[in-house]
Amino acid sequence: MDLPDLVHALKRLLREPLLHFAVLGALLFALHAAVSPRGTAARGEIVVTRGQVESLATAFERSWQRPPTDAELAGLIESWVRDEVFYREGLALGLDRDDVVVRKRVGQKLEFLSEEATDAAPTDAQLEAWLAAHAAEYAVEPATSFEQVYFDPARRRESLARDLERARASAAPAEAGDPSLLPARLESASPREIESRFGPAFAQALAGIAPGSWQGPIESSYGVHLVRVTARSEGRAPALAEVRERVARDWGSARARAEKEALYQKLRASYRVTIEPADPSAVTAAK
Amino acid sequence: MRTVTLLAVFLAVVSMCPSGAHAQAKSTSPPTDVGEIQPANPAQFYKEPGYSPYAGKHFPERPYFGDEHVHTAWSADAGMSGATLTPEDAVRFARGEEVVSTTGQPVKLGRPLDWVVISDHSDGMGVIAEIRAGNPELMSDPTQKRWHDMMLAGGDEATKAMLELIQSQANGTLPASIRDPKFAKSIWEKNTAIMEKYNEPGRFTAFIGYEWTSNAGSGDNLHRNVVYRDGKDKADQVLPFTTFQSENPEDLWKWMDAWEKKTGGKLLAIPHNGNLSNGRMFELRTFLGDPLTKEWAEQRQRWEPLFEVIQMKGQSESHPSLSPTDEFAAGYELWDRGNLTLEPKKPGMIQYEYLREALKNGLVEEELLGVNPFKYGMAAGTDTHNGLTADEEENFYCKFVSCEPRPERWSEDAVKFGDRVVKGWEITAAGRTAVWATANTRADLWDAMKRRETYATSGTNVVVRFFGGFDFTPADTKTRSPAIAGYSKGVPMGGDLKSAPPGKAPTFLVAALRDPLGGNLDRIQIVKGWLDKRGKAQEKIYDVVWSDPDIRTKGANGKPRPVGNTVDLANATWTNTIGAPELIAVWKDPSFDRAQKAFYYARVIEIPTPRWTAYDAAYFKVKMGKEVPMITQERAWTSPIWYTP
Repeated sequence: MDLPDLVHALKRLLREPLLHFAVLGALLFALHAAVSPRGTAARGEIVVTRGQVESLATAFERSWQRPPTDAELAGLIESWVRDEVFYREGLALGLDRDDVVVRKRVGQKLEFLSEEATDAAPTDAQLEAWLAAHAAEYAVEPATSFEQVYFDPARRRESLARDLERARASAAPAEAGDPSLLPARLESASPREIESRFGPAFAQALAGIAPGSWQGPIESSYGVHLVRVTARSEGRAPALAEVRERVARDWGSARARAEKEALYQKLRASYRVTIEPADPSAVTAAK
Repeated sequence: MRTVTLLAVFLAVVSMCPSGAHAQAKSTSPPTDVGEIQPANPAQFYKEPGYSPYAGKHFPERPYFGDEHVHTAWSADAGMSGATLTPEDAVRFARGEEVVSTTGQPVKLGRPLDWVVISDHSDGMGVIAEIRAGNPELMSDPTQKRWHDMMLAGGDEATKAMLELIQSQANGTLPASIRDPKFAKSIWEKNTAIMEKYNEPGRFTAFIGYEWTSNAGSGDNLHRNVVYRDGKDKADQVLPFTTFQSENPEDLWKWMDAWEKKTGGKLLAIPHNGNLSNGRMFELRTFLGDPLTKEWAEQRQRWEPLFEVIQMKGQSESHPSLSPTDEFAAGYELWDRGNLTLEPKKPGMIQYEYLREALKNGLVEEELLGVNPFKYGMAAGTDTHNGLTADEEENFYCKFVSCEPRPERWSEDAVKFGDRVVKGWEITAAGRTAVWATANTRADLWDAMKRRETYATSGTNVVVRFFGGFDFTPADTKTRSPAIAGYSKGVPMGGDLKSAPPGKAPTFLVAALRDPLGGNLDRIQIVKGWLDKRGKAQEKIYDVVWSDPDIRTKGANGKPRPVGNTVDLANATWTNTIGAPELIAVWKDPSFDRAQKAFYYARVIEIPTPRWTAYDAAYFKVKMGKEVPMITQERAWTSPIWYTP
């Protein structure tokens, strides 16, 4: 996380003359209350509940892995009271309003609440329906096992075609290749894995190679290759049991999004939203 | 007491030693470093094969690319700047799924990541989960019981329960117990639940993690990303450490130690943006200003195996004022004018901000303290604040919502404090951490990070191998799998070499394979740092192998002729007609003194390609100012290999 924006915002806030005025006012008021003879001008009551104390102690323990000492707990409580006092005074001054951090945060917490509230376990029927509707995302990918021998065109130059021809005809083509960091073989590799290591052209060409013998040359991002596909399994649609966790995850995620949107729409419907246009004479109401 | 603690540390370290991958035969080094404990056992990596050269291999066969630094709307500052994407959106995006950005633009990664760390913050959260779960204490209230039933019914009923709850708040009829903080469930647990859902061992790793955001003074960046090896069950036992508790990194290390003792799990921390620390990231004293001690150095080395050398707020690897002869450091993604709040730097600060200098100072400190406090390997991340780890030059979604693709973004103020400004074009489209692990799982990747078998990239998926030993020969570059020679005759990046045999100098096997969709390679360099006879740290950069050596002979300055440039700025394209797709070499240190401490790391430089600003200029048809760099040379930095007499 970055500080700059936050610090920037704070600094700007602290330079607001209106704020100085308000804070000064509040201080005068507090001073007046403090020195007034009866001293009863209490701003309100702060009750540190047993639950709050427990919560402070628990939070401490969860970070430091031991309970706070009495002195530490007293310090935590005092610090909580201090925050509470400033927080309440700030609220009283309306400092929470038009504050992008507070607005975002509070709104976010409401979203979290609604997510928690609507987080329900799916039925099999719901998951089956989801799987059927999004079959492509869960398809078991085709897998290819293959060996490859790399030929570096820059090194071979004119002899490249001849070298490839010879190598393909030989008993051990691997011996004829050039050294490379490319893997000499991949087992049960997905198209995505093949593409990420050899580039898209190679992945595409390899898909057209029949299993069995050494074939090629085919081109990659690096040069040319002889390849031998040793095994290949086609893609297929999985049963729900095979992908249940992923389906449940994605179903839940989509549902949460939909319900958050539904909550927003319902809440929004209870407001009359008016957007003032640039021209104040033509105010329109949007429902 | 201290003996007991050290013993515990030792046992903990030994028991977590993943595979001893760095071990070197004559190692008797301190117990604080995973890489130095177990004696070498090459058979662990490479058994003598039969016909197949590949049977019995147990070493990492491919690097896994990821981002250890992503913020979402759940980070207060990201939310504040308008981000709406959640950790779930961020993970989905990193995996390669298409999402809609905060500004409404559909976006997808060109090359999906293999793993990610969502490094948000934690905070308290409401009681609703407890109502849903039917906590008996809450169920004694009939209203809450009814809400509970409605929530379980789901769908419309659940939404209705929420509306009722909101209504009752407005009416002042909210049950008192609903505010009792002891029922609060933390957002942390929500975060870890998401990571758990998207972590698919072997396919995509979603690490649990968070950022500890220490801004000492007026915004001196001492941030650390904490990465968990374990899952939710352990992570949930303790809330993350926050800077409300302490801004002192030593307290973070204490917290990590206590966490490991309590849960039996493992943590590591990755500091970043030394460039914005105003001289504090690698300062030669403690946070409180005391002299460094051996114990302090042990702690730092133990908890912080990696340092993030590049991200969207610039690079922290090397600075032209510290390395004046390094032509690739000059003008390369520098954010060097101030700290996080752009408070200007004073003379003398920069030398404690960049990793290369810290690695050198680490050797000096090791001489004084007996332990190297700055024994860092290389990492990189984005530090994006819009949930999109979109660091590709041609697909750059920037750091903030405000600079997601728009024609004006290059010219606007990215960061502004009074008249101190960083412009939009200065933001860097970077970076990624490549991890040499044996499998794509939390445990395997984390173990590799811990033993520093990693390299940082500026966003490219270049593959880099780097091994050090005393017996590499040019013939090792000719074998079908250089890694077999690498692991059987030496140690990989992040490892240690000890006491050179008489008459022998360290040799390095280094190789790079370009990103299948990226630019060709210009050259591989080895950066050496060492302590000279007077105990002063020195550095030198060696060009080890480069493309077209017949044509690109060394000039009068001792450097290969420049690789050239094929970038067509009008169309933001380039061709791979210069450079090489792959480079490999064995290099022997020509000026080795077996009595001198040293480190070596490789830097791989690609040919010039368009920077994100060039893609913007072409796409939006805008003309940018002369000060804006339009061409970049993507690069990678490996973790060092250290030599200790």
